Amino acid sequence: MIKALLTLEGHVSLISQKINYLNNYFKIAFLNIRSNLAGNFFAFLIMSFSFFVMLIFTLCYINVYNYMLSFEKNNTMLIFLKDSANYHNNNIIVNDLLKNIKKLHGVKSIKYYSYNSSLRFLIKHTPKISPVLKTIDPRDLPPVIKIHFNPEYISRIYLSNVYFRVKSLNGVQFVYYSRLLADKIGEFIFFTKVIGLLIFLFLFISSIFISYSAIKLIILKKQDEIEILKLVGATNSYIRIPMFIEGVIGAVLSFITSIILLFLLFKIFIYYHFNGFLSYFKIEVVFLNAFEIFVIFLIAVLSGFLGTYFSSRKFF
Amino acid sequence: MIEFVHVYKSYDKNYILRDLTFNIYKGEFVFITGPSGAGKTTTLKLLTAIEKPTHGVVNVFSIGISDIKPKDIPFLRRKIGFVFQDFKLLPNRTIFQNISLSLEISGISSTVIANNVTNILKAVELYTKKDDYPLSLSGGEQQRVAIARALVLNPPVLMADEPTGNLDDNTAGIVIDILKSFNNKGTTVIVATHDKSLIDLGRARVIDITKN
Repeated sequence: MIKALLTLEGHVSLISQKINYLNNYFKIAFLNIRSNLAGNFFAFLIMSFSFFVMLIFTLCYINVYNYMLSFEKNNTMLIFLKDSANYHNNNIIVNDLLKNIKKLHGVKSIKYYSYNSSLRFLIKHTPKISPVLKTIDPRDLPPVIKIHFNPEYISRIYLSNVYFRVKSLNGVQFVYYSRLLADKIGEFIFFTKVIGLLIFLFLFISSIFISYSAIKLIILKKQDEIEILKLVGATNSYIRIPMFIEGVIGAVLSFITSIILLFLLFKIFIYYHFNGFLSYFKIEVVFLNAFEIFVIFLIAVLSGFLGTYFSSRKFF
Repeated sequence: MIEFVHVYKSYDKNYILRDLTFNIYKGEFVFITGPSGAGKTTTLKLLTAIEKPTHGVVNVFSIGISDIKPKDIPFLRRKIGFVFQDFKLLPNRTIFQNISLSLEISGISSTVIANNVTNILKAVELYTKKDDYPLSLSGGEQQRVAIARALVLNPPVLMADEPTGNLDDNTAGIVIDILKSFNNKGTTVIVATHDKSLIDLGRARVIDITKN
C-alpha cells in the first residue's frame, strides 16, 4: 500500500514537473517574442508574404481546376439544326429527330428550343447584354435540341457513339457536347495537375527556406543567450522547444494574416469587379474551402517548425 | 569530490595545462591562482565539461569528464553554480527572471521559484531591484546577481572566475563575504583569481596551477 502510494506520488511529481516545463516553454517563447519585437515583426512580414503567395496560387489553381472539371461532369449534348428545320417550320424533321434520339439508350430527357425560345433563353441568362440581344432577329439563331443523359450511361465511348449517330441524322447541322472538349483538354488537366503540384512543391520549399532565413535572423541574435542557458544547465530541448513554439506562433500568425488578406482581396476584387465578367463565361469563382485552408495551415505550421529546426541546428 | 590527475590541456598543440594534479574536498573554500594565461579559466571549464582534458583524468562527483555523455552535461552543470567574470546575465530579463533561470530549467514550480528567488535576493541584498534589468545595475550588483543565480539551486559546488576582476576593493570584499557565508553553510567554493589581495582576504587553501 505504502509502495503504491509512493509510486503514485512519484508519478504526480513527474507530471507536475512536465507541466512546469510546458508552462516555462510558452513563457520563454512569449518573452523572446516580446524582447525582439522588431526582428519578429520582420520575420512575420516575410513569412506572411510567402504564405500569401502560396494561398493566391492555391486559390487560382483550385478555380481553374474546378472550371476544367465542370466539363467532365457535364452530361448535356446540344444539337444545332439546319436552317430548313427552322424557316420552313419543318415539324416532320424535328419530330423525326426527337423520335430517333429518344430511342437511344441512356437518354434521360430531350428538350427542343425553337429560334424564339433560343433568344428568350439567351436574354434570360445574359441580362447584361439583353438590350443588344433584343435587336437581333430571332431567325438568325439556330433551333436547338438539348439532350440530358443518365449519369450511369456516360462514358467516353458511349458519348462518342451517340455523337456520331446523332450527327448523321437528317436536319442536324452541328453537334456539341462538352465532353468532347473535355477529351481535348483531358491532357491539359493532367499537365495542370503535374505543373500545379510542382509549383506547389516549389512554393512549399520556398516557404520553408523563407521561414528558415527569417527565423535565423532571430536566432542569431540569441547566440549569447543560448550559450548562457547551456552554461547554467539547460538541456538542448529546454532551449530549443521555446524556439519551435516561437517559430510556429510566427508561422500561424503569418498564415492568419495572409488568409484574412486574401479573403478581403477576394471579396473586394473578385466579387465586386470581376465576378460578373467571369460569370459570363460560366466560371464560378469560389474561395478556398475549409479543407484546403486547413492543408495550407498545416504547411505553414510545418514550414515554421522546419524553418526553426534548420536555423537552430548549428547551435546543438 | 573534485579530482584532477595528471591533467593536460592543449589547443592546437599549445599546452595550457601541464600535468595538473589536485583534489578539492567537500565544504572547502579554494583559490585557484596563477598569472593571466596560466589556465585558471580552462581549469574551471574542465570542471563543468565546457572543455575536455587532452590527457589525464578529471573527476567531478565521481563523473569522468572525458567520458561524460553530452546528454548528461546539463545535469552535471546544475550541480555546479558558475559565476563568470563577465557575469553572463540575460539583458532582456529582469533580475528576478535571471535568477529564476536555474530553477526553471530544473522544472521547479513557480511557487517554489518565487520563494527561493526572494530568499536569495534578500541574502545578496538586491530584493528591491528584482524588477530591474541587468544593464541598469552597477558592476558589483551585477556580480551579486550572478552569484545569486549560481546559488539559487543550492548546488554543492560554486565556482567563480575572477569574481572581483571588475570591482573596486570594497565591493570585492562584499562579494567575498557572500561567498564565505555560503561556504559556511556547506557549499564548496572554488575561486579562480590572480589577485593576491583577494587571496589574502579569503584566507583559504590556494592551488597555484603554475607550481603544480
